[in-house]
Amino acid sequence: MAIELFVFYFLAFIAVGSAALLVAMRNIVRSLFLFFLTLFALAGLYVFALADFVALAQVIIYVGGVLVLMLFAFMLSNKTLLNDVKEGTFGLPRWPALLVVILLGTIMGYTFLQFASAPPQWIRDAEQENRIITTTDNTVHYLGVNTMTRYLLPFELVSVFLMMALMGAAHMARKGGKS
Amino acid sequence: MEQFITHKVMLVLALIAVIAPFLAFLTYALGGKRQKSGVVSTVAIAISLLLSLFLAISAWNRELLHVRYDWFTIGTNTVTVGILVNNLSLVMLVLVPLVALPVHIYSFSYMKGDTGLRRYWMYLSLFCFAMLGLVVADSLFLLYMCWELVGFASYLLIGFWYERDAAIKANKKAFLINRLGDLGFLIGLAILFSEFGTWDLAQLFGHDGLIAKEGGADASYLTWAGLAFFLAAMAKSAQFPLHIWLPDAMEGPTAVSSLIHAATMVAAGVFLLARVSPLFNDTVLMTIATVGSITAFVAASIALTQRDIKRVLAFSTISQLGFMMVAIGIGQIGTAIFHLVTHAFFKCLLFLCAGAVIHEIQHQKEKHKLQIDPQDIGLMGGLRKTMPSTFVLSLIGAAALAGLPLTAGYLSKDALLIFAFEWANYQAGFWVFIPLLLMIASGMTAFYIARWLFKIFYGQNRLSLSIGKAIHYHEAPVLMRWPMVLLAGCCLFFVFSYNPLVFEDTWLLNGLERTDLLQRVNIYHTVIPAAINSVSIVLIFLAWRWYAKGKYPLKGSGMLYDWSYHQYGLNRLYEKGVVKPLLFVSGALYRFDVKIIDGLVLLVANLVELSGRLAAWVDRYVLDGAVNGVGNLAQGIGMLLRNGRKGKVQRYLLGMLIVFLLMIIYANFI
Amino acid sequence: MIPLDHFLIVSALLFAIGLYATLTKKNTIMVLVGVELMINASVLNLVAFGRYDKVLFGGQVFALFVIVLAAASVAVALGIVLQVYRHFKSVDPTDFDSLKD
Repeated sequence: MAIELFVFYFLAFIAVGSAALLVAMRNIVRSLFLFFLTLFALAGLYVFALADFVALAQVIIYVGGVLVLMLFAFMLSNKTLLNDVKEGTFGLPRWPALLVVILLGTIMGYTFLQFASAPPQWIRDAEQENRIITTTDNTVHYLGVNTMTRYLLPFELVSVFLMMALMGAAHMARKGGKS
Repeated sequence: MEQFITHKVMLVLALIAVIAPFLAFLTYALGGKRQKSGVVSTVAIAISLLLSLFLAISAWNRELLHVRYDWFTIGTNTVTVGILVNNLSLVMLVLVPLVALPVHIYSFSYMKGDTGLRRYWMYLSLFCFAMLGLVVADSLFLLYMCWELVGFASYLLIGFWYERDAAIKANKKAFLINRLGDLGFLIGLAILFSEFGTWDLAQLFGHDGLIAKEGGADASYLTWAGLAFFLAAMAKSAQFPLHIWLPDAMEGPTAVSSLIHAATMVAAGVFLLARVSPLFNDTVLMTIATVGSITAFVAASIALTQRDIKRVLAFSTISQLGFMMVAIGIGQIGTAIFHLVTHAFFKCLLFLCAGAVIHEIQHQKEKHKLQIDPQDIGLMGGLRKTMPSTFVLSLIGAAALAGLPLTAGYLSKDALLIFAFEWANYQAGFWVFIPLLLMIASGMTAFYIARWLFKIFYGQNRLSLSIGKAIHYHEAPVLMRWPMVLLAGCCLFFVFSYNPLVFEDTWLLNGLERTDLLQRVNIYHTVIPAAINSVSIVLIFLAWRWYAKGKYPLKGSGMLYDWSYHQYGLNRLYEKGVVKPLLFVSGALYRFDVKIIDGLVLLVANLVELSGRLAAWVDRYVLDGAVNGVGNLAQGIGMLLRNGRKGKVQRYLLGMLIVFLLMIIYANFI
Repeated sequence: MIPLDHFLIVSALLFAIGLYATLTKKNTIMVLVGVELMINASVLNLVAFGRYDKVLFGGQVFALFVIVLAAASVAVALGIVLQVYRHFKSVDPTDFDSLKD
């Protein structure tokens, strides 16, 4: 238990810390690599939430797809995109936004703590009736069955949507397209 | 036939009637650029017309048709969608395609050769769908969606010739003012939902509905809800002082003006009020009647002097909408709808006639390469001989608008005025100003429409005279003439009643109003029509002497004339009273920001720098940041107050977030 | 088993950081990264709650959907960024103000 908690804290620290660092950085390439780190740590956190397949998908899609796409977009575009490196590693914080964000974070954190201390009925029911996913469950199995039965319609919709988005993206990124 | 056509079949028919224009819209939207002919739209609207006529014949004065399905659930309240067909919606369900079909046919000829034809038919079908949907929607939420959609279609069509600067300005104006009304609608929706937890019209406003029950809700909230809905109707139906968008909306194609900005969409406000009428208490009703009568009077007086052929009609529309509002305000829903229907026919007809004239003059302008405004009635004249059928049709429309006997306008207008007088009789003495204003407005109506008619069709051909070249006009093409003939037929009395002089026999009123109100109980029912019509005839004769015979006794200037010609200076007033102060306040805030706050900030920064050389790092990274932050915060607030004229996306986001946070804090922690 | 509130706090922090990036970054790609961070925070919430839902499995299934849709949105958004860059010769979101009145 203790080691589990320790690893969780470690991953959470990496995720939050690198996220904080990446917004503080001026250099965009570094920021993107820090984002990479955040995503990896997050995948680890998903594993702790017993969502191993989601964690896998996170690694494959985000780390493998999205980030590479971002880096590519970045490298392929003009050099001035990269010439954002000004003096200093960190930019000055922008106070109004920071204040608002801290306020929002506090409110969210406070609400979440309250929420967790008095969980809603369905969570208590699930705990009582032992409907919680445990470490020994074969989540991929459940996931597959549910996707193909209960969630078939959203699944198909997502697939169609994905195709549309990819076609649209390809069309838009085309050189010399109508703009 | 009864057992053959069940409830369900009728509802399906109603649904098809609504959906048909939408399918046409989809055809144009997906059909690519080749799809240019208006056949699909026209067929769709013809199907709607046939189905709704059939429905009206089989369901008129029978039971109410209502079907609904659960849509989604918020908490414990379920929002439903469905169709509600009663007499009120049947009237509108027939009216909309019946006006739209002639307009569609007319457009074939009127819009011929325009480059944006596909867009035109697409928008027109979208509008018809939205309007039909609005009419049969069974919940206020659905009604709101259609309401937005008609507003959007109207926006698109006003700006149809988007390369004209005026058109873009006009559609922006229309859009913004309609937003104001939508805000009212939204507030009304929110109040009703928080009070009753439903938007279903039958549940809310039915005979044993939630509103009818005593003590169901807080009375002051209901007053506010009523006023909010009235605000929505004011913007949509162009009531004073929110009417300013409608005259500008005439920048759209004339066929569109006739359908949307005269016959159907602007009447949506009246329809909405009729739908939610059980909600109104005395305060709201008085407000509606007052605003309506002021609108009727003001708009009629502006119409007296306008020179643009379409603007006269636009102000006339506003004025007539004011009449309808008064009818709502005095509790005569049926009369309001009756006037709406007759008005739709004759105003649509008048617009189409104006379109035919404009079309012809535009044609001549291109042929002779003239530099003229084709819509200036000062340049027309003498068209009676060359465009005889257009003249006759305009004559019928004008007679109906003026409320002369044998026309449908006579029936509805007299009904309205008589009820207004009866109502004022019942109220305290002060309220008699409402029917009196209506009386005066009605007299002015007769005068301005006579002026309009005589200036266009009588006298000499002023265009020929002014350019010194003979110009020969031609009659409007067949495709434009026949739709007008159809509408002109609907302007006559026999469509509504077998008795041309007495409105009490009208089937439409009998279907919508409590019949005990339709007794000829007192002297008003005889005196008022006679009085109004004799005044009207005198005024029309005066107009004939002045404009047709050219014996104009006044000099065409002077304070009153200017006052009316410049539309009471309202546009300038808005410019000076609303737009300028806003700009001034934002400018002042900006200057305050730059001079005082930044000055303070600089002072503080200097002090800090003097004393804080030691803590250079702290200074640079923390204090400067904080100081700049104060400046930035102030600037950010200033920027927000400047109504986001800067176009900085992230600032908008920050502003939204701040408001959102304040709302959360207010709702949960205070 | 890790308690629920731990996940929720982490996700709140990540969300706040992502929001900050969205609000302040002067490079559209970084704004996009901020949006992605916020999406990931919500995915974390989904899977954390999904643990209590063995029957329907809604949390994890929708976490997957969200990830996939986020990927699609990134693809489209990057296409837009490239086009915008071609047009404005800038990636600073404060420069895209031609729609202002």
